[in-house]
Amino acid sequence: MERACISARQLFMLAILFEHGSAMVIPLGVDAKQDVWLAILCGMVLGGGLLFIYYRLFTYYPRLPLTSYSQRIVGSFFGKVLGLIYVLYFLYIAARVLRDFGELLLTFAYPETPLFILNTVMMLTVMYAVYKGIEVIARASQLFFFSLYWILILGFVLIIIAGAVDLRRLQPILEEGWEPIFHVVFTQTLYVPFGEMIVFTMIFPYLQKQEKVMKAGFLALFLSGINLAIIMAMNIAVLGADTVSRSTFPLLNTIQEIRVANFLERLDVLFMIALIVGGFFKVGVFFYAGVIGAADLFQIKEYQRLVYPLGISVLLLSIAIASNFAEHIKEGLQIVTIYMHIPLQIVIPFLLLLVAVLRQQKTDKENKGR
Amino acid sequence: MWTRSKGKKEKDTHAYGGLAPNGIYGTIDQDLHTNIEKVRDITGNSADIIIRRFLLGKDDNFPAALCFVSGMVDEHIVQQLLLEISVQLSLPSSSCGLDYIEQKIATTNTARRIQQWHDIFSSLMSGEVILFIDGMLEAIGVSVKGGEYRAITEPSTQLSIRGPREGFTESLATNVAMVRRRIQNPHVWVEAITLGEVTQTNVRIMYIKGIANDKIVEEVRSRLRRICIDGVLESGYIEQLIEDESFTTFPTVYHTERPDSVAANLLEGRIAIFVEGTPFVLIVPTVFIQFFQAVEDYYARFDIATALRFLRMLVFFISLVAPSVYIALTTFHQEMIPTSLVIAIAAQREAVPFPAFIEALLMEVTFEILREAGVRLPRAVGQAVSIVGALVIGQAAVEAGFVSSAMVIVVSITAIASFATPSFAIAISARLIRFALMVLAALFGFYGILIGVILMTIHLCSLRSFGVPYMAPLAPLILENIGDTFIRFPLWGLKERPHLIMNTDTVRQKDGQRPKPPQRAEKEGDSN
Amino acid sequence: MSTFQIVNPGNVAGATQRGGGSAGLPVALYTSTGDTLVEASRKASKQISRIPYYSHTNLVVIGEELAKEGIQQIFDAVERNPQFRPAANIIIARKQTAKQLSSVLTPIDKIPANQIIKTLQFTKGLLGENVDTRIREIIENFSLDGKEVVISSFRIAGDWQKGAEQDNVRTIEPSARLRAAELAVFKNGKLVGWMKNEEARGVLWVLNKVKQTNVNIDWGESKEGLSYKVMRAQAKVKAKLKDGNPIISVVIKTEGDISETFISMDFTDPKQIIELEKKIQQEIKKEVRKAVHAAQKKKSDIFGFGEVVHRTYPEEWKEMKKTWHNKYFPEAELHVKVDSFIRRTGLRTRSYIQ
Repeated sequence: MERACISARQLFMLAILFEHGSAMVIPLGVDAKQDVWLAILCGMVLGGGLLFIYYRLFTYYPRLPLTSYSQRIVGSFFGKVLGLIYVLYFLYIAARVLRDFGELLLTFAYPETPLFILNTVMMLTVMYAVYKGIEVIARASQLFFFSLYWILILGFVLIIIAGAVDLRRLQPILEEGWEPIFHVVFTQTLYVPFGEMIVFTMIFPYLQKQEKVMKAGFLALFLSGINLAIIMAMNIAVLGADTVSRSTFPLLNTIQEIRVANFLERLDVLFMIALIVGGFFKVGVFFYAGVIGAADLFQIKEYQRLVYPLGISVLLLSIAIASNFAEHIKEGLQIVTIYMHIPLQIVIPFLLLLVAVLRQQKTDKENKGR
Repeated sequence: MWTRSKGKKEKDTHAYGGLAPNGIYGTIDQDLHTNIEKVRDITGNSADIIIRRFLLGKDDNFPAALCFVSGMVDEHIVQQLLLEISVQLSLPSSSCGLDYIEQKIATTNTARRIQQWHDIFSSLMSGEVILFIDGMLEAIGVSVKGGEYRAITEPSTQLSIRGPREGFTESLATNVAMVRRRIQNPHVWVEAITLGEVTQTNVRIMYIKGIANDKIVEEVRSRLRRICIDGVLESGYIEQLIEDESFTTFPTVYHTERPDSVAANLLEGRIAIFVEGTPFVLIVPTVFIQFFQAVEDYYARFDIATALRFLRMLVFFISLVAPSVYIALTTFHQEMIPTSLVIAIAAQREAVPFPAFIEALLMEVTFEILREAGVRLPRAVGQAVSIVGALVIGQAAVEAGFVSSAMVIVVSITAIASFATPSFAIAISARLIRFALMVLAALFGFYGILIGVILMTIHLCSLRSFGVPYMAPLAPLILENIGDTFIRFPLWGLKERPHLIMNTDTVRQKDGQRPKPPQRAEKEGDSN
Repeated sequence: MSTFQIVNPGNVAGATQRGGGSAGLPVALYTSTGDTLVEASRKASKQISRIPYYSHTNLVVIGEELAKEGIQQIFDAVERNPQFRPAANIIIARKQTAKQLSSVLTPIDKIPANQIIKTLQFTKGLLGENVDTRIREIIENFSLDGKEVVISSFRIAGDWQKGAEQDNVRTIEPSARLRAAELAVFKNGKLVGWMKNEEARGVLWVLNKVKQTNVNIDWGESKEGLSYKVMRAQAKVKAKLKDGNPIISVVIKTEGDISETFISMDFTDPKQIIELEKKIQQEIKKEVRKAVHAAQKKKSDIFGFGEVVHRTYPEEWKEMKKTWHNKYFPEAELHVKVDSFIRRTGLRTRSYIQ
């Protein structure tokens, strides 16, 4: 672990940027058609449950990251194995997000640039930030938090002024009932982006005032859930459910609808800022968690030494992960969800918590016995 | 290689170590003549070292000599001093003891007895008058520092419309006094330190005890003590040797020419470093936002000040990204330009032989050359440069088809923006980063610019100035201090001093400073 | 076959200061053929010395012939390519081919496409008989079961063959002029008919797209004796199901002034104003009914009544949507309610005409 401390406010802003990250620009949970915002809100509520598990684990070991307390809970060997799995998971997701990001950028703005170069530039930036440490990332998140929020508000206001919003497109609500919504929640929105908060188990221990984790974490989760729901509802109110569900970046199309006073138009750059800043923080947090986890597992004092090798691995992985976009998305929705998100975001943390609680009770009894 | 460089280093140490006055050992001799010879010998019989021999005592039985550097003392006072000593010592009641003389010198503020040669020489060189008396084992150093200095004038940088007109001069004592006159409080502490082995430059550290953080004061002290070079000719030498991070284009030490700015910073708990011979005073610790604050912000009302702050931020941003945005728009993102504009730009660029990046680079470099020429040239020639510049950049380049007129507009806006940035130190770093962003924009369009901005932000966030995060109070966000950043709250709303450089006393004003109209008695009404 | 109207920026006025501006034409026309749009675009590179760049494509013109065959296939390339703006306008070339329409030089806007777009925008705002349909709306309508597409058309007034020559912009009254024409009504992506004048405006009333327009009414003996200037209009559509049959109610509210009259009437009398308002309401109601009947005859629900039913009765809609256009829509009962208000009467109370 690095010697650093961040404030609850920084954690809150970092978590918000992380949650918005790529979720804001991709067609998140669009299988729920015009009720996607409901699916996001449901995902958020259930995600809050997951976050509570992570939070309880943290309260048992407030000074340790996930990779360390897993060793305390299930013993050194299994704990290390678990820790290693999580490190690989974080790095893999970092690579996935990086790939997403590169693909998005390539499709809409740089059709002639090789994916590898776009990803390299991004990864170098992430590596520089991670090299500088969590404090610096957290501080930068405060600056970008405000810029991103201003952009969101600006976009929101402009799209309303432009008169592109037609709330009737959100109707009828619950056309197919709750079933498709829960299907979307349990296959998509619960895990991305809300379940991904698991990565913050690596960052919670840096908090200056430990008692504020709960407040900061949940506030970030709820605020970003509501924001994402608004963004997706907005997309649908502007574009219609069908277009959104067929679109690779609904937000881009929505922004392209802005036409105010024959002057404020073609504001694609707003979308680009959101995409790049969000992508940066998402890759950054996952990559940081992976690096710190690895340093923690292998007892490397200067985690910075791992930044370059692991960074290059993530970069190469992001290219090798899939041969085309469709494959990449398919992997993301099926294989990753079933074999990674569900066990690593839900099952293992839950079991860890269960064991931790039992151990605690046992020691409590022993203490009483004495 | 290693040994060689090591050997060289040792040699260097020796070289300037030998030149320092404290390398002159020994105490003075009883014999006046020997002493004078020693002074002559060490100073190489320099023409500006004046040695005035005369006789003291009732019976003129004490040969003595005054020794000083001409031009560094107030010669008028030297005359008085000479007269006074002669008169005092010829009185019947007088005795010729050193104590007696020391006490009887009333013309000047300080008089002290010196024995060591190195003390004598450092006093002499700093502008004191040394009195040698035959037969005494001690000399008397009398401070009559004086000589010609530039008068106090309006500062040439950091001008303000409203506010004091005086700026620092090259005289250390004057500068310190100018600040002290503004904060008339015994808790303003001034520490003296001499830096530069050869130059023996006087440096003063000023802070308000009780407001400034003691740890940071100690840090400043220790960083200053660590400095061991031959000469300190300007505060820039010190700045470069005490800053936290050398490899950054951003200034982590603030410098100012304005005494009111120093006073304001002292009140915020910062520490000022004065250096003899320069009107630029250093202020630490520094945060990024300081470079966008002008003293005038606090003299003007808050609404205007806030508007100006926003303007400055905007201006800084424009000077940073304007050319790169133009490059990105014209080479990668034509779809983001409104149609009628894109047609206009396309029509201009049709005839330009260079890609946008080369075109921008060409113009930016030309502009930088012009600016540099304008700064260094004598004022009389400066006008010629601006005429040539206006013609070359403005018209001829466009008419010759070298560049498009849109590019000229972009470059001009950038130039004006960089002039409007309040601090030269930050404007010049923006100039450097601008070129990096232009390269990124030429390679990757807006993606490149954004990556550049992210890198810059990360870098800014990683900087510290004397332990204080450079981007404070924005990142880390300190809500109590946010009122003095992009926005400036009304003065009564700025209740607390900057938190991170404070240890004890953060509150700077009582509650309820907000002005209110006088309460009217209820019945009075509008009748009177 | 596709035709590209390419802007030659050097010849667009105001864009350049280095002479030569008047020598050439502001636009050039290239035609190429291909089985798909992309192929045609790529083949065009054989003639054009620049890369075709579609980000500033503002107008798509479709020939009447193609419109009759069906326009559904042409939009995939447009939607898929990130360069294209879905906000681009689309029009139908009435009675001519798209190429002929694109080859007319226009005097005020140097770029004919701009002339068309601006004409469309202003006539929509001032008269309300044309719509500025955007590509995105069309694509969205394709995906909706209960709404059909309506697109404005343009035609060449005068001698189209002279339109391509520079002389066309040198005369005070160009021999070939572009003018907005009827509304093209589509069904399943195929052109099925045209609507014009009051009928066309009736469509816009229901679609809530009328911004300003003028409504003439008869008063006493004077035919069309009074002109009502609509400044604000709002339409709401509601649907009900009665025994499985849809009842559509359209509520239109307008606000406006009296802008011209040939009758002698004292407009200071509120009672008279109310009378006038009633007349106006009838007039608008007539237009709306006319438009809906026309559409019902063509069995094309260009008003999106089906979508209203969809929103209000999602369950029933699942059954109805298959036969909506052919069975339910032509039979749908229509209730029109118009609330018109005359707010002001201009600078005079009475006309000088006695």
